[in-house]
Amino acid sequence: MEPVVRVRDLVQKIKKRIILDGVGLEVYRGECFGLFGLRGAGKTALLHILAGIDRFRSGSVEVLGYDIRKSERFKHQLGLVTQGKSLFQDLRAGENLDFLAALKNAGRENCHRVIERFQLTDYLSLPVTALEAGVYQRLALACALLNEPELLLADDLFQSIDPASHHIILRELKEYLACGGTCILSFNNMDAYSKNDLYSSISRVGWLEQGRLTVCQPGEARDQWDRRLKSFEEQSGENHA
Amino acid sequence: MRTMLRQCLAVMRREVYYLWRDKGLRNILLAGSLLGLLVFYATYSTQVLKDIPTAVVDLDCSRESRQLVEDVSGAENLKVVACPGSFAEVEELIRRGQVVVGIVIPENYAKSVSLRRQVNLSVIIDGSNMIYATNAANTVLAITGTINAQAGIKTLLAGGLHPDQAQEAFSSVTFREEPWFNPTLNYAYFLVLALALNLWQQCCMLTACMNIIGETGRKSWSQLKAAGVSKFMFFFSKSTVQIALFILTVLPVYYLSFNVLKLPLACSFWMLLLFTLAFALALHATGTLVSSFARTSVNSTRFGMIIAVPSFILCGYTWPLEAMPQIVQQVVKVLPQTWFFQGINYLTFKDPGWTFMAPFFSALLVIAALSYAAAALIASRS
Repeated sequence: MEPVVRVRDLVQKIKKRIILDGVGLEVYRGECFGLFGLRGAGKTALLHILAGIDRFRSGSVEVLGYDIRKSERFKHQLGLVTQGKSLFQDLRAGENLDFLAALKNAGRENCHRVIERFQLTDYLSLPVTALEAGVYQRLALACALLNEPELLLADDLFQSIDPASHHIILRELKEYLACGGTCILSFNNMDAYSKNDLYSSISRVGWLEQGRLTVCQPGEARDQWDRRLKSFEEQSGENHA
Repeated sequence: MRTMLRQCLAVMRREVYYLWRDKGLRNILLAGSLLGLLVFYATYSTQVLKDIPTAVVDLDCSRESRQLVEDVSGAENLKVVACPGSFAEVEELIRRGQVVVGIVIPENYAKSVSLRRQVNLSVIIDGSNMIYATNAANTVLAITGTINAQAGIKTLLAGGLHPDQAQEAFSSVTFREEPWFNPTLNYAYFLVLALALNLWQQCCMLTACMNIIGETGRKSWSQLKAAGVSKFMFFFSKSTVQIALFILTVLPVYYLSFNVLKLPLACSFWMLLLFTLAFALALHATGTLVSSFARTSVNSTRFGMIIAVPSFILCGYTWPLEAMPQIVQQVVKVLPQTWFFQGINYLTFKDPGWTFMAPFFSALLVIAALSYAAAALIASRS
């Protein structure tokens, strides 16, 4: 099967600091790939490269069959939720949806669909700066799904959001995956994420550390994290003793 | 094509929202130049400098010297506000700024005139304010010319010449001053529109300086990049709205200037508007170029203001370009403001026609083309 994302020997440097050091990755159609790493590990850098936002030093990246250095056509089938608040701050919630729908060439019916599914009707006339974190993330995901993308890149989607929004986002992500969508989800809190219902939908986890990516099964990643925590606790205990 | 058009319209609509919702920018753009026009017009509403405060010291106290004081009092632009008793008092009045002109009639003035001896009248002018000093000097020059002529005629009459011959002898060579295009040398005609347009161009520059960095410096830039939108289409749509806004904001300034305040407009309104459009393009391109290499929005605004603020002084409108050092004359030619304000002066006062204005249009369009090209190059590489 042809992978949706194929990354080989990817190197990224920012101001002489190596962020990604020979990363290799393949993500297949219909897969939900978890990208785990502590803060500053390079998850956002990797996702921004995959989304065609940032250039990279060396290596090759193919998304949806396109070499992203040569073509931007893959972007028509891409959805992105960034870690920072990247919706248009000068527009209201509804205007963000309209604007992004126009840019992504998604029809009005898609706007209505996501508004309904993400229960955003009451927030459409509010400036995005006035939205609570959970509602903002619902809107951000709704915007990302406007064009019914084949690949969804979501950076730290569940950070500090209310249970109702959490539930809605989870439901829609599962629906997206059930319809054959491919997604790469990044997260930095293994404890919280592994308790999340979505963790069972994750087929593989890529552990990003010191610029290198190690791919493993979700359970394996969980165990490794537990072992590391235990090791930290032991070291800490020794120190106290 | 239809998709592209829809995207263009969406970007334009969003730009309108953006400009309208930024209250500070909106108020500056809409009210800045209009308010400037009114304030400047109020400032120059007297149109010419009249009633220049003058002190006359009459040390002679004769009938002739009193006549001279009366002549000075009757002068068109002078107003005798003090008659101090000594030169030192006049000096003090000028130092305090209470008078601008001081005239000292010496002792034995009448006697010297009657004996046809040379009389030295001291005329002191406060040079600390150039505009005041120039006007005062011109007025005093006119009075002294008249007094000299009168004294000369009297001498000739005393020599036995017929009054008509004496008169003719002094009017055989006459200089008839005839200022064209601004016959009354009206300050309001010369300065008000230019000052208001100077404010307008600064406001426009502020907006244009946000064109690229205002997008690339924000987190929402990642949404635009991830959407795969053509940068050319995006910035073309944004720029169209901004340039349209520039023209819309200058229209009320022109309407007030020519229809309400009755400032002169020698050329046709459409010619003026077309020239303004060419300038708006060049100015926007310059701002866009600045916004392409600036690292932050704040820096972009700073760079833009460094260009826009001194450009009015350097453009040759108030101080002639020809009087500037050669290097400055060449350097300021890269600024669109230089061509615009020079052109505006020609269009409002003289209407020199298309052929004469063609280099001005060409210069502005070349500046626009080069600046946009450089901005595109820098933006694509960053």
